[in-house]
Amino acid sequence: MTLTLSEAGQNVVAGTFGRAMKRAGEALGSMSGQVIEVQTPLVKRCTAAEVLTMAGGPESIVLALYVGINGSLQGHALLLFPPSDAHRLAQILLAGLLGPGELPMEPRADPLVYDELELSALQEAGNVTISAFLNELGMHLHEPVQPTPPQVVIEMAGAVLDAVLLDLVSDADQVLAAKTTFSEGDRAIDGTLFVLPRADSLRVLLDALGAIGI
Amino acid sequence: MTLTASPSLLVAGIGEIVLSSSPDAHLVAYGLGSCIALAVWDPRTRVGGLAHFMLPSGPASPGSPVKFIDSGIDSYFRALEARGAALNRCTLKAAGAAAMLTLGSGLAIGRRNAETLQAALRDRGLSLTAAALGGNSGRTVQLEVADGRFLIKSLSSVTEL
Repeated sequence: MTLTLSEAGQNVVAGTFGRAMKRAGEALGSMSGQVIEVQTPLVKRCTAAEVLTMAGGPESIVLALYVGINGSLQGHALLLFPPSDAHRLAQILLAGLLGPGELPMEPRADPLVYDELELSALQEAGNVTISAFLNELGMHLHEPVQPTPPQVVIEMAGAVLDAVLLDLVSDADQVLAAKTTFSEGDRAIDGTLFVLPRADSLRVLLDALGAIGI
Repeated sequence: MTLTASPSLLVAGIGEIVLSSSPDAHLVAYGLGSCIALAVWDPRTRVGGLAHFMLPSGPASPGSPVKFIDSGIDSYFRALEARGAALNRCTLKAAGAAAMLTLGSGLAIGRRNAETLQAALRDRGLSLTAAALGGNSGRTVQLEVADGRFLIKSLSSVTEL
């Protein structure tokens, strides 16, 4: 079912998602001990092909942290990093946990290879970041929103996103995509957070915000 | 062996078809996960096509001619025939239908895509010449219109079907 969203309704969703994405960036910053800049979120209705373009093209290689969104609001959230940036983030997270002397800080020869500890730290970063987003949204909702356990995949962006997009476009031609970029101060780490809600479940959010029918 | 980047590269975006009879043409679909690419090539007329299917079944979608396998496959075949391909002598090669993420609620879209494609071909008296379906790796595919070679690139390898 497609929800027809007026421009004003879409602005309400954009504002709320924007605040929640800022919270998500702050949570990632506090977990990593870094200053994270959060780009002004982009919220737009677009085709599946346009979402792939927003992710840097279908063949760009990413480390993707995926969390499914269940409950009163439903959809998908993905935090995407270029593989070398994900390595840097994993090193920063693990140095905070284990102490800097216990970790090799040199970049790996193959940026597509991660050890279990790095993947686990990155999964937790995805979990914390996306949960912060959902907690902020949850403040407006009367019923809880539950994230699924995080999954991590290193793949072509198109291949990761297509499963999510296929779930959303089976009964609609367009999806509502919210995207922001997180950058660490010196731009050594750039991440992209995508949130793709199921259009029919947005009604719950609009209702809770008093924006239905505007 | 590498995939080609050239001015004669024709890209089948998600839900789209590309066709060519030019021997210089390379038909490509990038970053397939659960989607399926079906490459059809006629060795006599050297007409080739590549369709980037998204989902098993649904109503015809004018903006995305092969969004759905069941409602899109005939328009793809008709377009190939209009270019001079005869389906009964064509090679049909498919790749994709992987499971990249566990999305819950039994959403094995890749597997359903593979089953639907095979059933749709069977219903039309056709079958796949070769296939690389399933698994959990993303794929980029390329059909060489000059000779019908079908190249599949994943993060770790390039193979030929």
